Amino acid sequence: MGFWSFFTLLCLVGFYVNWYGTTKALRINSNIEKGPKLPSLPNYYGRHALLSFILVSTTILLVWIFLKPFILDLLLENKISVDLTSSFDGDPSMLIDTIKATNPNNFFPGTNPLIIESAKYYEYIKETSDSYVYLMVLFVALIFSIFSLRKISISFQARQSVEKTNINILIFCSVIAIITTIGIVFSLIFEAIRFFEKVPFFDFLFGLAWSPQTAIREDQVASQGAFGAVPIFSGTLLITLVAMSVAIPIGLLSAIYISEYANLKVRKFLKPVLEILAGVPTVVYGFFAAITVGPFLKDLVSFFGFSIASESALAAGGVMGIMIIPFISSLSDDVINSVPMSLREGSYAMGATKSETIMRVVLPAALPGIMGAILLAVSRAIGETMIVVMAAGIAANLTANPFEAVTTVTVQIVTLLVGDQEFDSAKTLAAFALGITLFFATLLLNLYALKIVRKYREIYD
Amino acid sequence: MTNITEKIKLSLSKRQRSEKRFKFLGFIGISFAILFLIIILYSIFSQGQSAFKSTYIELNIFFDEKIIDVEGKRDIEDIKFANFRKIITNSLDNYFPEVEKREEKRKLHEFISSSEEKNLMNLVLSDQELIGKSKQLWLLASSTIDVIHKNPEMEEIVESDRLVDDLELSWFKTFKENGNLKFGFNKNFFSKADSTEPEQAGVLGSMLGSFFTLLITLILSFPIAVAAGVFLEELAPKNRFTDFIEVNINNLAAVPSIIFGLLGLAIFLNVMHLPRSAPIVGGMVLALMTLPTIIIATRASLKAVPPSIREAAIGLGATKFQTVNHHVLPLSMPGILTGTIIGMSQALGESAPLLMIGMVAFIVDIPGSFTDSATVLPVQIYLWKSTAARGFLELTAAGVMVLLTFLILMNGLAVFVRQKFEKKW
Amino acid sequence: MVMSNSIKIKSKKISVFYGDKKALDSINLEIPEKKVTSLIGPSGCGKSTFLRCLNRMNDTIDICRIEGKILIDEKNIYEKGLDPVLLRARIGMVFQKPNPFPKSIFDNVAYGPKIHGIVNSEDELNDLVKDSLKKAGLYNEVKDRLDEPGTSLSGGQQQRLCIARAIAVSPEVILMDEPCSALDPIATAIIEELIDELAKNFTIVIVTHSMQQAARVSQQTAFFHMGNLIEVGKTEEIFSMPKQVKTQDYITGKIG
Repeated sequence: MGFWSFFTLLCLVGFYVNWYGTTKALRINSNIEKGPKLPSLPNYYGRHALLSFILVSTTILLVWIFLKPFILDLLLENKISVDLTSSFDGDPSMLIDTIKATNPNNFFPGTNPLIIESAKYYEYIKETSDSYVYLMVLFVALIFSIFSLRKISISFQARQSVEKTNINILIFCSVIAIITTIGIVFSLIFEAIRFFEKVPFFDFLFGLAWSPQTAIREDQVASQGAFGAVPIFSGTLLITLVAMSVAIPIGLLSAIYISEYANLKVRKFLKPVLEILAGVPTVVYGFFAAITVGPFLKDLVSFFGFSIASESALAAGGVMGIMIIPFISSLSDDVINSVPMSLREGSYAMGATKSETIMRVVLPAALPGIMGAILLAVSRAIGETMIVVMAAGIAANLTANPFEAVTTVTVQIVTLLVGDQEFDSAKTLAAFALGITLFFATLLLNLYALKIVRKYREIYD
Repeated sequence: MTNITEKIKLSLSKRQRSEKRFKFLGFIGISFAILFLIIILYSIFSQGQSAFKSTYIELNIFFDEKIIDVEGKRDIEDIKFANFRKIITNSLDNYFPEVEKREEKRKLHEFISSSEEKNLMNLVLSDQELIGKSKQLWLLASSTIDVIHKNPEMEEIVESDRLVDDLELSWFKTFKENGNLKFGFNKNFFSKADSTEPEQAGVLGSMLGSFFTLLITLILSFPIAVAAGVFLEELAPKNRFTDFIEVNINNLAAVPSIIFGLLGLAIFLNVMHLPRSAPIVGGMVLALMTLPTIIIATRASLKAVPPSIREAAIGLGATKFQTVNHHVLPLSMPGILTGTIIGMSQALGESAPLLMIGMVAFIVDIPGSFTDSATVLPVQIYLWKSTAARGFLELTAAGVMVLLTFLILMNGLAVFVRQKFEKKW
Repeated sequence: MVMSNSIKIKSKKISVFYGDKKALDSINLEIPEKKVTSLIGPSGCGKSTFLRCLNRMNDTIDICRIEGKILIDEKNIYEKGLDPVLLRARIGMVFQKPNPFPKSIFDNVAYGPKIHGIVNSEDELNDLVKDSLKKAGLYNEVKDRLDEPGTSLSGGQQQRLCIARAIAVSPEVILMDEPCSALDPIATAIIEELIDELAKNFTIVIVTHSMQQAARVSQQTAFFHMGNLIEVGKTEEIFSMPKQVKTQDYITGKIG
């Protein structure tokens, strides 16, 4: 049974269960001539049965998705005969993977026939196991809904039960946010720990040399300094610094102009313009940085007799700054707008000009909120990937000169992982160590910034 | 008293000047922002527009029976495996009978894109009468010729810096002088997936990849996010637990996207063994990223519904759940939809997490389902940008134009929904 | 000393429009110097709008349009080319809700002198701040904590801080827009006493929704209704024998 036919069948049975429950409740109600009728509306009885049907089937399906690879492995292991184990000439631990990687319909001539046989078996269970599970899902879910249908009686309060279940579903959906966070931490931490088994933690955090590409060979993994992340952190900071020195002044000035000076008409034009700038995907900024800004800076700088790397921190950081302008300006705009009008009026009434009011009253009042916005922007800058992947360097370079090429945490994660499917070498594991560093750095920034902003809101709300 | 007034009067002009300076500074700030936007859009349009046309060369094609159907049985299988390359090269050789050296002939044969072989085959299959006859046909030129055609200034520069040598250039000029060279619409761009040849590469594959991916994202994130938003805004008690959920959501909204990619790689691929490069996994990753956006939008638009409506419903004896379901949620739907569309357009432009789960592969086939290997529009742009070959540059810019068009359409839809359906309380 | 019954402010046919809506209709009103004039009337009657015309605070609202003249010391403040900055330095204002700046108590009072460049030295500024706080009757309560934020004070203290802030630039007129509506009765009594005291040196115009307050603090009262000035006269006369029926109705509570 294919997935879609199963899905259609599932829907049909679900509809039927719902309809049956409702009509049964209606029938019971019409049979009661005197005295109290069912405590809830008839359609709640149908919905109750439907809910148990849906919940049971989705639970089984989800469990199956998680367990499928393990169960298939188990079945395959049981199938492997002694003959196969003895005739397999590679690493015995690789046997299962070899079988799985073999395509029984299109294999290299000379492949061990026992392996092909096992591969055929694997293909077979992979396809048929789903059908069995589908049948089981339908069967078990149906049993549960029959139970719920049999419960329909005067003493059963279907509405309360349905609402309770619904609220539990809602709670579960909200908890997905927590599950995601936990998922992130776990997915990063295990691989990161495996990395730190190979490379000492402090060597990673304080080492000055980063050359993961050379460390693929076993003898070099532990060689001193190959995984020192300091140049990567410094590169990230350098690019962030460049980005911020573009984004903060322009973003703040734009926010001030829009919220304090522009009249309604101009504001109606300017806000969408900034929204477009915010909506441009980062890959487009990356393309712009690499193709337009990089060469332009190169020409410009060499015109003055200096030299600049074609993948300079200046180009990547500058364009990242442009990307962040709307982020800062819209957050600051909100913050500035929430400074109460009465403070401005108080200042105007004292005879202050607009700029005096802004500089001496509005901005100091809005400062915590603006700080929060800037911190969020920094967090965004250090986590930004596509611009730096396309326009910054790959080589780790410990420098503070924005004319040189530097690399960032995100660039390294991408270069270490893209195209590599092997998860044992220190090289790929290093990506997860960098990932967890990035996650915690941005986490701290975000939490702190969100706290400031929240506190700020409380003052003026 | 007048003393003070005099003092203020004295400093007044200075203060007015600094007021003007400050206003001007703000104006400069916003002008820079607008200027950057214009430069970005201009640089992309100026580079990308030429990718929408491609060069065609007119040749007299002789459908030689000896090549197409040696046995004369008009067997479809035979025709399918016939050497249509030979047909094209023959007509090129006929066009320039003076070219005799092998090496030179090889260069000449590269004038026509290899994709035309299949087109000729289809032509013959649809009209077998053609076999044995000649026909004037416009054939797609290779990307090198296309580049020369689009950049006439290249004819002037020295041979070593040019993509083509003097001989090739002379053939090109002959075609041009004879009127056998023209620009036509680049059909491949909208009907093909990636290719190693720029003139045969298109965005259809990645567009469909984006479509499948976003569909998964929408199916997963919309119901979950609305449910979570409704719970947190309307039903949740105010306690530590719900506070913790809120902090999590707000933080997730600011977690770098690449971290979600690592999550997808470690859990969806390595633990759950879902297929690499598949839209289903990409959709799941993007759904996790989009959740906070839609949850926050949902809460904002639920909050905008005035409490009087809830009180009215509860006053009539509805439960809290019925109140939300029957009254509050329908009223806030426009706001939720607007937020969802904006979340989807963010997901459409997202590429970093998809690099992590292998949607960055070179994929020639157009994906047909959620589990086929695929790439998405922004990643296709990234891939083309990373390709050094000339001709891919303008494709990249054209890809950006397509992506931006979709984003503008989606945002326009969001604005439409907001203005048409949203109630102001 | 100027003559006590001379006229400080004259409004001549002042009309105010918010977009298409007319908020004030051709108001003619004379305000005597160094007296307290109170503006009363039901909410939305235009009394606050009129007050805000006197220091051109309505200029800060985009859609607001004003016709007519306001003469202060016989000079039209709506004359073209006149900078409202100078005008507002001469006319202080206290708002309905206390709005101290998010700065220290000291900096709140020093704000006006600093932006206008009135003082020449640190000492002069210290004295001016001290003096203003004393005049506002706040000095003794805050002298030990001038560095604390202005927002840390109680509501009544904040309002007196705002008064101190206004008088620090030695204005000729002080406008008060329902200054006690956000305060408790005790704080209100203190402010009312202060107003009495201030009237010796300043011309005061106060908007109030409380007729009792108008009766307590002012010498002249003007009654506004639906954007029109219905009646103006000595306070005791307005409250004891109003000439207009509408005034009578308002005072006796028939309209509100």
